[in-house]
Amino acid sequence: MPGVEETPGGARRISQAVRMEGIVKRFPGVLANAGIDFSLDFGEAHGLLGENGAGKTVLMSILYGLYQPDGGRIFVRGTPTRIGSPAVAIRLGIGMVHQHFMLVPRLTVAENIAVGWEPTRGPLFDRRAMVRRIEVLVKQYGLEVDPTARVEELAVGEQQRVEILKALYRGAEVLILDEPTAVLAEQETEALFAAVRVLKEQGKAVVFITHKLDEALAVCDRITVLRKGKNVGTLPARQATPARLAELMVGREVVFQVRPEPVESEGHPLLAVEGLVVTDDRGVQAVRGVSLVVHDHEILGIAGVQGNGQKELVEAICGLRQPQAGHVSVGERDLTGASPRKLARAGLVHIPEDRQQRGLILPFTVAENAVLGQECDPRFAIGPWAQARRNIARYAQELVERFSIAAPSVRTPVQALSGGNQQRLILARELGRGPRVVVAVQPTRGLDVAGMEFVWNQLLAMRRQGCAVLLVSMDLDEVMMLADRVAVMYKGAVVGVWRREEATKHDLGLAMLGGKGAVA
Amino acid sequence: MSVLSVDLFIAALRLATPIALVAVGETFSELAGVINVGVEGITVAGALVAAMVAFFTQSPWLALAAAVAVGMVLGALHALWSVYLRADHVVSGVAVNLLVAGFALFSTRIIWGWRGTSAAAPTLNPWFLVGAMLAVVAIAQVFIFRTPWGLRLRVVGEHPRAADTAGINVYRARLLFTVVNGALCGLAGAFLFNNLGRFTDGMVGGRGFIGIAAMVVGNYRPLPALLAAYLFGFVDALQMRLQAYIPSQFSLMLPYILTVVVLAGFLGRAKVPKALGKPYVKERG
Amino acid sequence: MRWLREAGPVVGAIALALGVGAAVCAVAGYSVPAVYRELVRGAFGGRYQLFQTLTQATPILFTSLSFVIAFRCGLFNIGAEGQLYVGAFAAAWAGFTLELPPVLHTVVCLLFGAVAGGLWGLVPGWLRARRGANEFVTTMMLSYVAIYLTSWLVSPRGPYHGTQWANQTVRILRSAELPRFMAGAQLSWGIAVGAMVAVLVWYFIFRTPRGYQIRAVGQNPQAAEYGGIDVSGSMILALTLAGALAGLGGAAEILGTHRRFIEFFSPGYGWDGIAGGLIARAHPIAAILAAILMGALRAGGMAIDRAGVAPADLAAVIQGIVILFVVAPELIRWLRRVRLPRSDHVRAER
Repeated sequence: MPGVEETPGGARRISQAVRMEGIVKRFPGVLANAGIDFSLDFGEAHGLLGENGAGKTVLMSILYGLYQPDGGRIFVRGTPTRIGSPAVAIRLGIGMVHQHFMLVPRLTVAENIAVGWEPTRGPLFDRRAMVRRIEVLVKQYGLEVDPTARVEELAVGEQQRVEILKALYRGAEVLILDEPTAVLAEQETEALFAAVRVLKEQGKAVVFITHKLDEALAVCDRITVLRKGKNVGTLPARQATPARLAELMVGREVVFQVRPEPVESEGHPLLAVEGLVVTDDRGVQAVRGVSLVVHDHEILGIAGVQGNGQKELVEAICGLRQPQAGHVSVGERDLTGASPRKLARAGLVHIPEDRQQRGLILPFTVAENAVLGQECDPRFAIGPWAQARRNIARYAQELVERFSIAAPSVRTPVQALSGGNQQRLILARELGRGPRVVVAVQPTRGLDVAGMEFVWNQLLAMRRQGCAVLLVSMDLDEVMMLADRVAVMYKGAVVGVWRREEATKHDLGLAMLGGKGAVA
Repeated sequence: MSVLSVDLFIAALRLATPIALVAVGETFSELAGVINVGVEGITVAGALVAAMVAFFTQSPWLALAAAVAVGMVLGALHALWSVYLRADHVVSGVAVNLLVAGFALFSTRIIWGWRGTSAAAPTLNPWFLVGAMLAVVAIAQVFIFRTPWGLRLRVVGEHPRAADTAGINVYRARLLFTVVNGALCGLAGAFLFNNLGRFTDGMVGGRGFIGIAAMVVGNYRPLPALLAAYLFGFVDALQMRLQAYIPSQFSLMLPYILTVVVLAGFLGRAKVPKALGKPYVKERG
Repeated sequence: MRWLREAGPVVGAIALALGVGAAVCAVAGYSVPAVYRELVRGAFGGRYQLFQTLTQATPILFTSLSFVIAFRCGLFNIGAEGQLYVGAFAAAWAGFTLELPPVLHTVVCLLFGAVAGGLWGLVPGWLRARRGANEFVTTMMLSYVAIYLTSWLVSPRGPYHGTQWANQTVRILRSAELPRFMAGAQLSWGIAVGAMVAVLVWYFIFRTPRGYQIRAVGQNPQAAEYGGIDVSGSMILALTLAGALAGLGGAAEILGTHRRFIEFFSPGYGWDGIAGGLIARAHPIAAILAAILMGALRAGGMAIDRAGVAPADLAAVIQGIVILFVVAPELIRWLRRVRLPRSDHVRAER
């Protein structure tokens, strides 16, 4: 198989770009790659499929020189190679587009692409020459973007194109795309697929990391499935079926998915948002007059591409950002612009998106984190002058047991817990307050399957108990699975609300890009 | 009799010199992501070493070189601590200040026998250093915004990982620009020595901190930082002339009060580099 | 045994610094054994020497606590020197103006000092919380303002110029004094007040909801905000308390040691407080030990000067080196890592 092969498309002779043999990578307590074989040809798009934590990104980070393998060999164009750093990888013609873009928002597209390999005129940076070079690349690959624009002014899809252009400018023949669709809407995804096809035609080798089966099938020629750090199968896309790939991925026939049981809402609006206008950090209107109602026994999902005002909307609802106009009420009370503490007393809790930056104080102990936001509560403090330490410890212990948090003791600093247990602690703290309204943002991001199921079941349990749940997620599948109604946000406005029964992926995807919406 | 005169504006430029040098130096290191509060102490060290070398060799040129050199060494020390050993940047800078303060008292005492004061020594014309400052500001402005290295510098402070993947050694860049900062502070110290003709404890008198304030007002651009430094120099020159009218203590307070007012954001606010003060940990395994 | 793990690198850093200090001594041409012998004897050689050390340690303890409480909130109070001065002057003023019964008068004077220092901390706290002004620059700048302001107050043109031959106020009333332990030594009950305050600061930081909030803001302001903690308020409170502690230190120094306000009386106790706070790793109880170390260096420094073996400022050099090593705990870890393989090697050869 190595060396020469025929593409599925035709008889063009192509050679092997990369071969990785028996790659082993250990991290403290984890065997991330347990001897993986992987190969990649020029002119092909190779899907790398697997669940979170299967070792996809680690394997590709090794190829990109970010990590050094503990075992195994790498061949680039048939030559055994040690890739000590990304700089070496780039010299070998390997480029990577990371999930979190490596762009400086304040600089222009041209400056971002140029850095490290700047064209010069005398001692000075030649901006005009750089812009010209980018324009050539833009034409060649059809990756439309304005080289003189500042990156902070670009949409996410455009920023991704800048990243791809950056890799191509640096001479990439092998292009690694790490979960490129995670931040894109359906239609932007289509544009990306088109770009990948162009790249293939031009003879580039593309690795497409994803955990979505349909994407892998749509654009890839071959698909490699990883599970628990092992290559469990490489097969041509033509021979792959969703069922077969899913089985390889999870190692069992059925992917467990939770199913919300039918419950009857009594129709009390517990969270009502009316005409909310919010500006972002730069003073630009990010939320333009959003109105929403979430009732008891109901989950309202908010779908949308990242950066369409969801963050600002949530922050305004949860008291972390002052709205310019509009109202937020919890139950009967108008709590527009109230502090997080006041909102919490009114029964609104918030599972924040960034659990390490917002949700927890990592050097604090489990017990200390368990009372964050309630440290002045009479249960935990005797006036302002003393903490009720025994009560705090007992309460934390209770939460640890009730939510099965794996922590050695309540005096353990939270930074010593795994990501999944950190999220459990946040859920425990917030849901343990007996809320009426739950605002959860990306609550399963970065969790493994067990962790996701746990979070989903907790949110469904809150719904069963009569809570109003506002679920904001970039994962359309998650929203469609859990929510009773789905609202789509686009450019700071709700462009449509669907009942679950009536929602289709196609309609929602269209709405996420500003197409027409239906109102339920 | 008039307080406002041409002399005043000329004196202001002279007094703005050390402040502008520190401001430009701090602009370099902060763009690279390193906060250096040690600029105060490094300036003291520059003045002290200039006085020492001028006293022993009678050569003000050697003194100038030595001041710059000691600034570079202390800049490197701060970079070693904050970049490589990951000490808190402000803490490390404060440590540099304390270290220099101790050495200044000790060495004046053992060399000249007076605590905190040197003997007079040959100097350069301070206007030469004013000229050097103007050249530094101009070069820095072009360097930061028009050269490849300026671009790299800005990426290192904003997104060190992006710089790393572009083949730029983040640690070395931070070291380099903190050393540059040290060199400019050493130059500022040399100016203060040449301006007065000797070293005295307290001659820097917070000008390092004022330089940081000028950098903030300049929003990480050397030319506007020079204008801010000029404002401080002007107030400093003014206060000397005001001493005839109000108690000296009050006029001496002026530059410090102005700094507080300026930092309170009444003269605009700076866009801080994203990775400022944060240690860069290379993902390695 | 967490405190042992914390203290280890600090003790290592101090030892290392004493070593480097010895090298500096040798290079400067002084006898290393003589200097260190006098240093230790001058600091701990007898009751008088010990009292000297504690006298010097008293204001440093207060300024160290001042640094610690701000640091716990993620803030740098570099202006303890100025807060010390305003506290000292306020206490002196209350001491010679008000007429109150003995113990009460002392307490009132201490409170005056704390309030004045607190105001001097409140301003940069407010500017930081509401206007985003770097507190490490503003506290420093306000420190200069405080020193000049108090200097003017006691200058010949100022309102409280008390004696002809020096810029100082008149003596405080006997009822306002902090009593001394022993005739002939300056050590006053100020040190006991300091130790008590250290315990109170510890209790405040680690055992009260307000202290919890301050620590939360210091560790992660975003999470604190999310938890509904008033971040701005906590910052203002922390810097105000920091100022109050430094002001209290100035008051104790006036009431116990000088008994009047003297222009430029502090030889840099505010700066020593930064050193003390850093050496204590921002722990209020450890600050007691750190302040004693700083005080010992000052007292011992004076002794080596008196004995003529080296200038007192050698102690300041050693102090600077100690700080440098203490603030980089990675350094000690790094040195240990470098050494370990070698000892393995030796064992293998045997």
